[in-house]
Amino acid sequence: MRILIVDDDPFAGAMAEAILDAEGHDCLLVESGVEALDALGEEHEAFDLVISDMHMPLLSGLDLFREMRDRGIPTPFVLLTGDDPEPLHAQAPGIAACLMKDASLEATLPAAVARL
Amino acid sequence: MVAERGNASSPAEPHKGESFQIRKARLRTSFLSQLPGRLADARRAVAELHPGEVDHARLDALYVLFHTLKGSGATFGFRQISDAAKNAEQAVRHAMDAGGSVEAVLPTELARLMDDLDALALAAHVQVDPDVAPGFELPEPETQPEPPSGQAPDARPGQPADRSQRMVYLCDDDPDLAAQLAGQLGCFGYRVRAFTNLADLREAVGIERPSAMILDVVFPEDENAGPKMLAELTAEADEAIPCIFISCRDDFGGRLQAVRAGGSAYCTKPIKTVELLEFLDRLTNPHPPEPINVLVVDDDRELAQFHATVLEEAGMVAKAVSDPEQVLSLLDTFDADLVLMDMYMPDCSGPELSRILRQIPGHVSLPIIYVSSETDLKRQHQALAVGADGFLTKPIEPARLIAEVGLRAERMRILHSLMVRDGLTGLFNHNAIMQFLEVAVANARRAGTSLCFAMIDVDHFKSVNDTYGHPTGDQVLMALSRTLRLRLREDDLVGRYGGEEFAVVLSGVDVEQAKHILDALRISFAGVTFFSDGQEFRCTFSVGVSDFPTFDSPDAMTEAADRALYRAKKGGRNRVEVAAPEDALPEPSSESTGTSDDS
Repeated sequence: MRILIVDDDPFAGAMAEAILDAEGHDCLLVESGVEALDALGEEHEAFDLVISDMHMPLLSGLDLFREMRDRGIPTPFVLLTGDDPEPLHAQAPGIAACLMKDASLEATLPAAVARL
Repeated sequence: MVAERGNASSPAEPHKGESFQIRKARLRTSFLSQLPGRLADARRAVAELHPGEVDHARLDALYVLFHTLKGSGATFGFRQISDAAKNAEQAVRHAMDAGGSVEAVLPTELARLMDDLDALALAAHVQVDPDVAPGFELPEPETQPEPPSGQAPDARPGQPADRSQRMVYLCDDDPDLAAQLAGQLGCFGYRVRAFTNLADLREAVGIERPSAMILDVVFPEDENAGPKMLAELTAEADEAIPCIFISCRDDFGGRLQAVRAGGSAYCTKPIKTVELLEFLDRLTNPHPPEPINVLVVDDDRELAQFHATVLEEAGMVAKAVSDPEQVLSLLDTFDADLVLMDMYMPDCSGPELSRILRQIPGHVSLPIIYVSSETDLKRQHQALAVGADGFLTKPIEPARLIAEVGLRAERMRILHSLMVRDGLTGLFNHNAIMQFLEVAVANARRAGTSLCFAMIDVDHFKSVNDTYGHPTGDQVLMALSRTLRLRLREDDLVGRYGGEEFAVVLSGVDVEQAKHILDALRISFAGVTFFSDGQEFRCTFSVGVSDFPTFDSPDAMTEAADRALYRAKKGGRNRVEVAAPEDALPEPSSESTGTSDDS
């Protein structure tokens, strides 16, 4: 799959990219919701999936998801968070998966992507 | 001013062709190296918080900083760093929710958490890329996606030299062996890319030149495919790549092919990791080997000086003494590889001085060469019988002096390194570490300095072996030995005392400092994640530590450390126990340094 990864923390982003590269996916890493919207704005069909961190300055992951849907971009969306993912997921049921950012990501992220 | 996130340097560019474990290890290393800078930013911001004031901007910045640290810390498996960052994040969140006013307790609480984070960051430095082993994957057959536009592909010609400084390519058609070796070498700080066929290796060399290669000799296509590939690569390159061959062939023909192709070393299977490491260290080490140190003893001051000068001109370090009485104190500070000794000195003959040296544990195997005008063979033999290693007749040709001394010292060094090293971990073996403890106690007694001895034992090691198998158990021991070696100071001595037991001699530290050092090691090792067959697990260790002069002999120190270790085990493991005076040897009895069996 062609995947857009959005994370303002370069380490967390690079780690997600490494995990997905290992699964044979093709990733583009950007550092903010605004950059993500730019990338999607040009041609959102270019991406099969968007994976975003929740807590980012200016535009949170949840804001990004809502903005995408408001603009009619239907690309599946996975949210990563350092906090408890359950209540977040409840706020936006349209999100494909909401995952905890910890060492288990190596297993949960590929599994979530594979389920799409 | 809180750091602008945009200015934070980002992790190293990915090498798309690398295995995930290696990429992860690299990211972890990079994360750790930037951690102190991030924490310093946080500290500065915390210092600017003034109780009673409303400070939205600074609280926001701190919140982002701790939140990010919590996330990336957890992602890389640094659970304790993540937890401490989470506590700090919550404290800041609480203030934000309370209208952004800074309560009096907040700076104090954050400062305390910053202390924890600093300590954890320090401790984490030992566990850089711990899970390169045993969880190691071979790269998939090269089916790499095109790099996205705007991103450089795998090859990065402009990269700094140190990134590839210790990059090793390993090629063996047996994927299990390749993975196992790569994992083990990863434990010792090498970046290893493993290949199972020569075509992939060849392509990788074209993209990035490694600092060394490890090649199998026999491949399915040809029983000399390895050497042929090396010859081919050498013919095309400006500069030969150092190469070690590994082979199940121990015949002359295989070795000859390897030598002709330009192989620097040849290891037969089953591979001894430490042997392979010795060769790799030597091949990839940019520094020349240490010069040979020689002590010249001759009552004829001018002759002693002349011999020393000859040796110095040949690149050795030589010290001349004309008084045998000075030899012992000199050897304390001058780490001699060899002693060149006059046979007939007025106050103390060469053989007498040799006997004195041989009765000191640290000098039992110090090579001694006699110099004399004695031409009677029989008397020469008598002299050699008291433990000298060679005999030179005066006057000595400078060339011959250099050759004799150089050859013996070099051979002794190699022999010594093989004699005192443990085959799995490369640490000193039991006998060596005990001998070092004796020397250290003698030195501490003479100089009136402090000294500590620690016994470290991996907790529940037997169940690791039973659950995951011995190769995984070995990886745990190697990771621990690497943790100890990297973290301790240059002059601390680390040995493998027995199965899963390690011993450390810490010179010049008191028991409080030793406990502090060992606790940091313990905490960081407990955070290392091991992988075996897709399962994750962690290990801890227990420590017993004793100090000089509370315990004033090597036997008393080992016994006391062993008892303290036993208490640490009984007290719930994963802890450091300090030996108290009641851990001293009971009434003088027969010497025993029994090690505890429970783990």
